[in-house]
Amino acid sequence: MAGYLLRRLAYGLLLMAGVVILNFFLIRLAPGDPAEVIAGDMGGATAEVLAAIRADYGLDQPLLVQLGRYLGAMMQGDLGESYFFNRPVAELIGARIGPTILLVLAAQVISITIGVAMGVMAARKPNGVLSGAVSVVATIGYAVPVFWMGIMLIILFASIIPIFPVEGMADIRLRNEGWLERMIDILHHLALPAFSLAVIFLAIYARLSRASMLDVLGADYVRTARAKGASERSVLFRHALRNAALPVITVAGLQFGGLLSGALLVETVFNWPGMGTLAFDAILRRDYTLLLGVLFCAAAMVVIANIVTDLAYRLADPRLRGET
Amino acid sequence: MALLEIDELKVTFRTRHGPVTALDGVSLRVEAGETLGIVGESGCGKSITALSVMGLVPSPPGNIAGGAIRLAGEDLVGASPRRLRKLRGSEIAMIFQEPMTSLNPVFTAGDQIAEAIMLHQNVSRAEALTRAVALLDRVGIPEARRRAEDYPHQLSGGMRQRVMIAMAVSCQPKVLIADEPTTALDVTVQAQIFDLLNDLQRETGAAIMLITHDMGAIAEMADRVAVMYAGRVIEEGRADDILDHPKHPYTRGLIACIPNVGKGEGGEPPPLAEIPGVVPPLHLLGAGCAFRERCGSAFDRCAAERPRLLGPAAHPAACHAVEEGRP
Repeated sequence: MAGYLLRRLAYGLLLMAGVVILNFFLIRLAPGDPAEVIAGDMGGATAEVLAAIRADYGLDQPLLVQLGRYLGAMMQGDLGESYFFNRPVAELIGARIGPTILLVLAAQVISITIGVAMGVMAARKPNGVLSGAVSVVATIGYAVPVFWMGIMLIILFASIIPIFPVEGMADIRLRNEGWLERMIDILHHLALPAFSLAVIFLAIYARLSRASMLDVLGADYVRTARAKGASERSVLFRHALRNAALPVITVAGLQFGGLLSGALLVETVFNWPGMGTLAFDAILRRDYTLLLGVLFCAAAMVVIANIVTDLAYRLADPRLRGET
Repeated sequence: MALLEIDELKVTFRTRHGPVTALDGVSLRVEAGETLGIVGESGCGKSITALSVMGLVPSPPGNIAGGAIRLAGEDLVGASPRRLRKLRGSEIAMIFQEPMTSLNPVFTAGDQIAEAIMLHQNVSRAEALTRAVALLDRVGIPEARRRAEDYPHQLSGGMRQRVMIAMAVSCQPKVLIADEPTTALDVTVQAQIFDLLNDLQRETGAAIMLITHDMGAIAEMADRVAVMYAGRVIEEGRADDILDHPKHPYTRGLIACIPNVGKGEGGEPPPLAEIPGVVPPLHLLGAGCAFRERCGSAFDRCAAERPRLLGPAAHPAACHAVEEGRP
């Protein structure tokens, strides 16, 4: 088990190194020059100023040298300085990563619980009205773009029924209140962004768990459970759901990357102070180091999510525990 | 009054060919301590009979359209789902055909047996687990305490079937239904399972309904036999009578199909016998005998009139040729 974990971690590190190197070159393929952005901000760009800025940031060196320097610094835990903010990238990301993790985990929890509940309800009577309704809702949820869903929710809950804040993560008027008030305030702000991000994934889990439940409910061991005299409730939740949840766990792990990129859009729509807005700024301003740092962190999160998924899968399915 | 009586049971299924009658007036009875064998090919209604007794006919599309099932006089067809749940596992238990898939892969063997005990008896989980270990030991699983913590995938097919049997007998049911309990197992394991079932029956006095297509299993286990074909009982009698003096051409065919390992007269093993054709689809059954297309003794009456179960009460058969004494 420990050996397995170590191996997974090693693969993960290798993957992250790949992500960083690939992105390093990809960003530089895109048109635009950070020196011009920086110079533009300083109020004018003569050839000398541009050359000075390039020399200052090492942008005049050959690409491979730049990459070597970047990787060397990274080994020592230094993600470099943001060209635009003039602050260490690690510090910028550190301030933003919490809200993103909060948003992504909240969306994950909402989409899995509601999605699986919908799927189970639909599977109980596969030809019933409820099952049809779940399929329709799931299809719409899957088809709707996440930013559009965000905008619609803002319209609905800002102007028609104004019950949720539509922007930001906290109400600054509450900054001096106790921690409980502030936490409730954050959850209040979290509701709309988390729900818009959850909708698309909720649809995936609803369809998946419906199909998986239908499959499992026809299994011999479910008949065995009934033959023992187990109640319908126990058959459904104890015997069937434990087995039907296995593919949901797999897909939840695979979807984590999608969830992160969805978070970028949602954060932009709701002005959520997370890594998504940071990445958005970094792309617009050709802030290479900041963008690389954000991508590195995103890759790390996906790798960790995949390892957690694997562990959860082993916990849920005893057939996998013996394997290494 | 027999312990379990099935009386004129009729079960229909909705299919895309319209409603079909899967069981058409099946009547059976089993006494306490007796083993009734039910034989027939796939699709003849054996398993549906068993599931009807368990109250587990999938509905929809299935539906018990008529008849009665009585356990010690109590009608099960009209019983509430709650009452049936209480009887299932405690008074009537079932062993299924596929030990590989009939146990839940995410629970340990001990847990699954303990669950059956806790569903019907007011005992703590610890006590139920202790009893589960004792049951595993009783059904011949070595190192029962350790094996109770194994998951199904860690057990062999024979062991899984023993776990199923332990689960089924955990509440000392009055009726034990075994649906092809050894079909998926090695021949040597088959004999052990039959021995185990016979022993358990001697200890508890349970009635066993053994569903099989294997005449060898019948010879080993059954006191009485009912032969089913296309949803009806077509011959019934004591096991020895059926095996030695089968009446219905279908029963004769089944017995002729038992492979003969010994050498024949010419030093060669006799050729394998077979019954030509297959069980006709239930929605295509006409007015006459369902077996006539495959029958060597069929004559014109067989196409016109469905034979009824007639003859001596101890060994009736449903065949016009038998009734008229034709060869």
